[in-house]
Amino acid sequence: MINLTVGVLALQGAFVEHLTLLRQAAEELQRRQPLQPNTATATSTSTSTTTTTLGPRQRGSASPSSPASPHTDAKSTADAGTDAAADILPHKPPPRPTPPDLNHSSLSPSPPTISLTTLEVRTPTDLARCDALILPGGESTSISLIAARTGLLEPLRDFVKVLRKPVWGTCAGLILLAESADRSKSTGQELIGGLDVRVQRNYFGRQVESFEAELELSFLGDSGGGPFHSVFIRAPVVAKVLSSPTTTTTTDGGVPPVSHGEGDTVLAPQRQATKAQVEILGRLPGRAKTIKDQTTTAHDLGEDGDIVAVRQGNVFGTAFHPELTGDGRIHAWWLREVLKAKMQTEEE
Amino acid sequence: MSSNNTAFPDRPSAFRSQSSRALNGSNDSSPPITTKSSASMASSDPQSSFAVKAGLAQMLKGGVIMDVVNVEQARIAEEAGACAVMALERVPADIRAQGGVARMSDPSMIQDIMRAVTIPVMAKARIGHFVECQILQAIGVDYIDESEVLTPADPTNHVDKNQYNTPFVCGCRNLGEALRRISEGAAMIRTKGEAGTGDVVEAVRHMQTVNAEIARASSASDADLRQMARELECDYALLKETAKLKRLPVVNFAAGGIATPADAALMMQMGCDGVFVGSGIFKSGDAAKRAKAIVQATTHYNDPKVLAEVSIGLGEAMVGINCSGMGEGEKLAKRGW
Repeated sequence: MINLTVGVLALQGAFVEHLTLLRQAAEELQRRQPLQPNTATATSTSTSTTTTTLGPRQRGSASPSSPASPHTDAKSTADAGTDAAADILPHKPPPRPTPPDLNHSSLSPSPPTISLTTLEVRTPTDLARCDALILPGGESTSISLIAARTGLLEPLRDFVKVLRKPVWGTCAGLILLAESADRSKSTGQELIGGLDVRVQRNYFGRQVESFEAELELSFLGDSGGGPFHSVFIRAPVVAKVLSSPTTTTTTDGGVPPVSHGEGDTVLAPQRQATKAQVEILGRLPGRAKTIKDQTTTAHDLGEDGDIVAVRQGNVFGTAFHPELTGDGRIHAWWLREVLKAKMQTEEE
Repeated sequence: MSSNNTAFPDRPSAFRSQSSRALNGSNDSSPPITTKSSASMASSDPQSSFAVKAGLAQMLKGGVIMDVVNVEQARIAEEAGACAVMALERVPADIRAQGGVARMSDPSMIQDIMRAVTIPVMAKARIGHFVECQILQAIGVDYIDESEVLTPADPTNHVDKNQYNTPFVCGCRNLGEALRRISEGAAMIRTKGEAGTGDVVEAVRHMQTVNAEIARASSASDADLRQMARELECDYALLKETAKLKRLPVVNFAAGGIATPADAALMMQMGCDGVFVGSGIFKSGDAAKRAKAIVQATTHYNDPKVLAEVSIGLGEAMVGINCSGMGEGEKLAKRGW
C-alpha cells in the first residue's frame, strides 16, 4: 500500500479548484490504465482532507457514500447510488479475470495499492504531511507575505530545494518557484525558488489583456483530448532559462538574506545544487492567436513562442491556470509523475 | 477524451469543475444563462470571455481587497498582503460624513496607484453610469465596482456589464439582486453590508439572506424554482444553476462594515470567498498592523489561535456608526435595483 498525500497551498488564491481537479485526476489515472485491475475508491471526505484509494477492486468494502461532498465530480456523484466505491468510474472496462493469487502479495508482486489524500496546506505541520504540493494561482505577493508571516517560507524552500519533493506552481505558483522574478513590487518579494528561470510578472499586461488559448502540450502524450484549453490571467511567462543551474550555491546551507537583482528583479535564496536541467514543456504558439493586436506573431518575431510550461527535476511550473478549465489531464499527468517520484524514493 | 472532461470548454462558469455536475448530471435542456452573455460578447474575441473575467476573481479568493485613497495607502495595503486594492477618492466613512454627490475618482489618482503597486487595482463607478465605466476601462483598471457607495446615476438601470472587457463586481443584499447583477454580466459579487459604518451586522444579514435563499432554491422542485425566480425577479436558468451548485456561480466576497480580523474571519466562516475592507483599515489607529492582521485572519479564518494572536494590540478600531440607530434613508445598501 502506497500512501500518497498531496497538498495544495491554501494561503490565498484558487486552491479549491486544484483540489477538485486532483480528485478528478485520481479517477482519470485509473481510466487511463485499464490494464491494471485498479479502481478509484472514495474512502473519506471532510472539509479539508479527502482520501481516495486507488487499488485492486474491493467490491465488498464500499465506503459510505457521501452525496454531500461538494467537490465530488459529476460522474462519481451521478453513479454513486448504492455502491459508491466500486462504481465510481463511468466507463470502466469489464472486470478482467485476475490470476487467483494476484491480490495475495505474499505469493507474487501485485500492482501497488495507492491511497491518495488531498489537503489544504496552511501551516508547517500540514506541509510536513505532504509528499507533493501544488502552489495555486492567486496573488504571488499576498501568498509570499502570508507564507512568511505563517512561518512557511523556509519549510517551503526545504520542501522544494532540499527534500526535492514534487511541486507544481500555476501562475502565481510559478512565480514563487522561480529563482528570479522581474517586475516585483517596489520593496521586492520573497521567492521560494527551485526552477532556474527568470519569470516576468504580468507579462501580457493588466486584466484587459488576459486571454484564453489552445496549447499543444506534447508531454501529455497522444491520449486524445486535443489541445489544452488554457486560461491566462495577468499571467507571467518564463522570460529566460538561467544558464547554469544553482551550482554556485552555498554549501553550508546558510540562509542568505533576500537577494535583490538589478532594478525590480528579485532572487530566491539558494540551497543545494541540482543536476536536473530546465526542460521547456510548453510554449504559447503565436501571440497573434491570443492578443488583441493581431499584427505580430511569435513567428514574425523569429521566436518559438513564449515559454509557458517548464520543469526542472521535480519542480513543474505553468504560467496558465489548468485549475480554471475543468480539464484534469495535466493534473493526471502530474499525479503520475508524483507517483513515480514517490515509488523511487521508497525504493531508495 | 472522457465525457466529464471539458465538456463545455467555453462555458462561462467560474465554478466549472463543480458545476460540471450541475450541467452534465441531468438532461435539463435549459442552457445556463451565462451562455447568453458569452454569445452577446464578441465571441471571437478571446479576451472578453466570461471565464477570463470570472477567473481573476477566482485568483483573488481567500484574500483581502482594501480601499485606498492614495499611493501611500496602496503601498501599505500591498505590503500587508492585500490581493487587490480599490482606488477611490474618499473612503465610505468620509463620503458619509461629508455628504454631497460621490462620483468616480480622478483617473490620474487611479493611474498613480496602478503604477505604484503590482497587485490588481479596482475602481468604483456610479450605479448605471456607463460612461464612467468606459473611462475606467480605458485607463485599464483590473476590475470595476458598480457601487452603491457612490451616488447612483440611473434611477432604474444598472450598467450592461456584458459590453465591457473589464470585469465587474457588484453588491447584493439577497440572492435575487446577486443573480440580476450576474445576468447583466457581473463576474464577481459582494455583499453590500453597510459601507463606512464599521458595523458588520448588515454584511452578516446580507450573507445570511443569500445563503438561506440558496438553501431554499437547492431543495425546491422545478415548479417551485420557477415561482421563486419570479419572486426574486431573477433569471430561472441562473437560479437553477445556483441551486445545483449550492453557491453563487461566481466568486462572492463580503463587504460593508468589516473592521477587525474577527469580522473578516466571521464572514469567511459564513462561506464568503474573501473580504473587502473599506474604511476599517485607514480609519483606524495603526493601519499597517490592522491590515496585516486582517489578511492573516482571512487565510487562517478557521484557526482561533491565530485569530487571537493577530487580534492582540491592534490599537483603536474605526469609531464606527451603529447601523441599528441609523435611519433607513441613510443606508447606502438601499441603492441599487
